[in-house]
Amino acid sequence: MKAEAVAAHRGGMWAWLFQRITAILLIVCLAIHLTFTHLLNIGDLGYDNVANRLAHGGLTAVDIILLAAGIYHALNGLRMVLLDYWLTSRVRALAVTIFLWAVGIAFLVYGIWGLWPWIGY
Amino acid sequence: MSDIKFRLKRQDPRDKENPEAHWEEYTVKYEGENLTVLEGLFYIQESLDPSLSFRYGCGQSICGSCAMYINGAYRLACQTNVKHLAADVITVAPMPHLPLIKDMIVDMDDFFAKYEQIKPWLIRNSPDPEKELIQSAKDAKKIEMPSDCILCGSCYSSCPSAWGEENYLGPAALLKAYRFEVDTRDEAGRERMPDWDNERGVYRCHTIMNCVEACPKELNPTEGIEWLKRAAVRRKVFRRAK
Repeated sequence: MKAEAVAAHRGGMWAWLFQRITAILLIVCLAIHLTFTHLLNIGDLGYDNVANRLAHGGLTAVDIILLAAGIYHALNGLRMVLLDYWLTSRVRALAVTIFLWAVGIAFLVYGIWGLWPWIGY
Repeated sequence: MSDIKFRLKRQDPRDKENPEAHWEEYTVKYEGENLTVLEGLFYIQESLDPSLSFRYGCGQSICGSCAMYINGAYRLACQTNVKHLAADVITVAPMPHLPLIKDMIVDMDDFFAKYEQIKPWLIRNSPDPEKELIQSAKDAKKIEMPSDCILCGSCYSSCPSAWGEENYLGPAALLKAYRFEVDTRDEAGRERMPDWDNERGVYRCHTIMNCVEACPKELNPTEGIEWLKRAAVRRKVFRRAK
């Protein structure tokens, strides 16, 4: 074991804490999302209906939170797996983290862009 | 006179002719009804094969020297009665996933280096009281479980996070960190914290709980590790002292 390797690694608490927070957000937002999208609108998948639903600011907000929480939870989970097997240096760990943040932000921007016409509608 | 078959995993990496791991069988004879695995190993070493190597110390499950992989589980050879294993053959192997030195002896250097890493001693800043540090029965109860750890290394050997990451502190070191952090007499505050509050420390634990399963003293390192994670949140987010 390299003591300096251990000392070089600070932090990790926020990632751990956010993983738990996003888990709770996922349960709540996913339940709302599924209820409004797939239970209350069965067999009614027209453009008008979807647009009408998305016009509600609250539902759009839930969808954005769901998207952000889902992306964070998934990518942080992936990061944990990668670090379990691949974390041999601080540089690598940092590279993995930065890369996954970039991917996550790109997905989030793309998702919000998709919802953009209904935001502030 | 009774006898029982012992199947031992033997390996001497320094033996130039036969450095590979192989299994050898021995028949151990004993008087009376009881025989511990450690006694069986002694019989083999004294009467059958003097080249057999194994560690032992106290013989009363206090020192943690004789942890081995016995009949598919982590056990202390000295506290394992062959009668209780209820098996025709007693299979003994060294603790897996640790560098092997010879036969049942594994290299514990990293294990103890990591143990030292978390500063396993009471850290005090205020002046010592005249007589003693008072501890209530309730406070003493908090350190009861983690204090029972004998550093045998079973949990560390069984932990998949430790297999994958050589620098992960492992359950034993973190249980000891918990033992001192939860102690009401300890005043380390943020002093010890950087040693376990990192991704080579508590956050590398994914609550697989092999350590709980493995511990011959039936302790719960995962519980301690989870307490440390919550303590980190309490201290860094809510600015609590403990």
